[in-house]
Amino acid sequence: MKTKNPQTRAWFLGALGLVMAASWVLIPGGSGQGLSLGGPRLVRIDSLPAIEFSSEMCAWMPAATTASPALFSMALQQRNETAVESREVLDRPPVRVIKDPFPTFSAVAVDMVNNEIVLQDENLFQIMAYDSSTNTPPTAALSEPKRVIGGHHTKMEFNCGLYIDPGNGDIYSVNNDTIDTMVIFSRDAKGDVPPTRELSTPHGTYGIAVDEAAEELFLSVQHASSVVIYNKDAEGDAAPIRMIVGNSTKMADPHGIALDTSRGELFVANYGNFSAYQPGLERGGGGGTGGAGRINGSGRFFPPSISVYPSRGDGDIPPLRVIQGPKTQLNWPGHIAVDEQRGELFVANDGGDSVLVFQVTDEGDVAPTRVITGARTQIKNPTGVTIDKKNQEVIVANMGNHRATVFPIDAAGNVPPLRVIRAAPAGQPALQIGNPGAVSYDTKRDEILVPN
Amino acid sequence: MAHPQIAIFDRLSNGGEPPRRLIFGQPTLLSRTMHDIRYHEGRDEILVTNPFAQAVLIFRGDSDGQTAPVRIIQGPRTGFNSIDTVGIDPVNDEIYIPDGPNIKVFPGDANGDVAPIRVVEAGADMGWRPSRGIGIDYVHDVIATDGTLMGEALENDDFKNPYRGGRDSVFVFPRLAEGKIKPLRMIRGDKTGIFGIRQMDLYPKGGWIVVAQITSGSVPIPEGTFVGIWGIYDNGNVAPRWKIEGKASNILAKPRGVTLNPKHKELLVSDMRLNSVMTFSFPEMFDTVAQPPPSQ
Repeated sequence: MKTKNPQTRAWFLGALGLVMAASWVLIPGGSGQGLSLGGPRLVRIDSLPAIEFSSEMCAWMPAATTASPALFSMALQQRNETAVESREVLDRPPVRVIKDPFPTFSAVAVDMVNNEIVLQDENLFQIMAYDSSTNTPPTAALSEPKRVIGGHHTKMEFNCGLYIDPGNGDIYSVNNDTIDTMVIFSRDAKGDVPPTRELSTPHGTYGIAVDEAAEELFLSVQHASSVVIYNKDAEGDAAPIRMIVGNSTKMADPHGIALDTSRGELFVANYGNFSAYQPGLERGGGGGTGGAGRINGSGRFFPPSISVYPSRGDGDIPPLRVIQGPKTQLNWPGHIAVDEQRGELFVANDGGDSVLVFQVTDEGDVAPTRVITGARTQIKNPTGVTIDKKNQEVIVANMGNHRATVFPIDAAGNVPPLRVIRAAPAGQPALQIGNPGAVSYDTKRDEILVPN
Repeated sequence: MAHPQIAIFDRLSNGGEPPRRLIFGQPTLLSRTMHDIRYHEGRDEILVTNPFAQAVLIFRGDSDGQTAPVRIIQGPRTGFNSIDTVGIDPVNDEIYIPDGPNIKVFPGDANGDVAPIRVVEAGADMGWRPSRGIGIDYVHDVIATDGTLMGEALENDDFKNPYRGGRDSVFVFPRLAEGKIKPLRMIRGDKTGIFGIRQMDLYPKGGWIVVAQITSGSVPIPEGTFVGIWGIYDNGNVAPRWKIEGKASNILAKPRGVTLNPKHKELLVSDMRLNSVMTFSFPEMFDTVAQPPPSQ
């Protein structure tokens, strides 16, 4: 394990530069644009036919209250007859850039054969493999991983789900947005390499679980509120072999999934955001922003939940049981994990800064058996959780503080982790900006509003 | 993405500085896929959508932490199906929600299960359809939206977009338009550089339309990305009045969000590949008024 001394500012500048340079080197035909970060560069001088503002008054042009088809037809035919003005392409770097230059851990998996903890970095779009014994000293800036997989060729973006094949160490990475592809890398993959296998997935895929005995791969889909099941070796445009989807399932913005193969059950964590399917159109997978197959105005909010299904289930089936209600403490449940030996379900409880532990047989409005939470745990916005069965440990990926935290399997309360893998200097805030689809400005408070 | 939130930064935030406030957690009813956000100064409110629950969430402007929205527009009367963006007209106090082929308009104080007061409709018979980007110009009394051509208008059009998504044009139509309409003007064609745009913001005082182009959401680092600014009178196959290209020297890769800070003459851009927000000084746009063509 390597460590570095704190050099936060230098790290930010260096990391941002690295991200930018890496991005543009990888743009097809884009490397010739130059990497100068200097001030604005004069490209061309044109006279401005425009009016300078002298006051708050401005030109006002009333418009018709209805548009005529003739006008549109004219627009189609005379599209080059616009006002003639200068047109400028500007070289203009921003005056300020808000960016977290460090990894943000969204999911975690364990390679028990090779003693590695593998983490999804959803900020820089990479997978980072650490030795299982890694423990960042409090005085160190960060711990460096043994291997990193990342870059344009990896096809990773908003990578949020992770699975390690216990047989061969293959790494399965789920992209939550944009690329709609699950990518699989061999255990020793490193750098900006293409995946060894790809599977086209529905948009908004989040959680992953595998039934190794049945050789089946389970993926949760946020937009369609479904779980799709593929053959484990599926690739390309292979279709799911089963699909749990529909109004009876009570799935509502599903996130993490986990299998209890000893009981033949599938657990699904739900945020509670719901809209109803039109009966018979469930398998079209429409919904969310797609819209097809959903009933207009059927949207509702339900409390967050864990719903349980037979793992061989198919279609619009009701859950076997549901964990839901105020006693559960569920608050944006992310990834989940089942310890079959102990009969326990672990929940990364993002909004609660906690890990909740339930019995796998729990049902209804039940309190967790135990809760790992508090300042000493260093758990902050946890979205990932997994079980290291060999070492009897629970490992948490915290989006809120650049850390993975490792606890004994029976940890409870406000306890310090056994080990911490920290990917940024201790005081470095995790901004958790992810796919910022928009931005707004609060003119009253002079603030920038950024949604994920 | 694994963690929805609204992060609120000081205007002068830079680098890895933390946000002043965060809105997140179950009580907020937020979800992922917030593809737009608006601040309504008159009401001191923040507006976003939750597409999975077909809802518009309205928060107090000073919301912080795990706080619930003050109002929610949701229910059968809304007819919401596929919503992920929002626009506001702060002067006429109206909320605009693009929903599939329609744009629904609600009063600024709408709450609960309410029907829209106006619906703008498009479709193949109208030759176009809107998409999700929207902005309202209360000075020139027009609305701008992105979208694409449909039906015969598309078949007869020379411009062929190699990318999917149907967000390759900007349409301008009257602010009070209602029912089936055709746009007044359209910005479309190879000179525009538009293949796939996302958030849009308007500067009514100057008559400017500002758009962020990601080209294609499904390409990790696409070519041809930019932030472009057109005049409200622009029509046809015209290049933007100003353009900041996505390239390393501009620290811009895949710009998805765009908004304006008129007080400081700044243009703000969110970048989905870099997971970052940039502030550009842009005085020329705020100091200039878009001019109508001589014939008008």
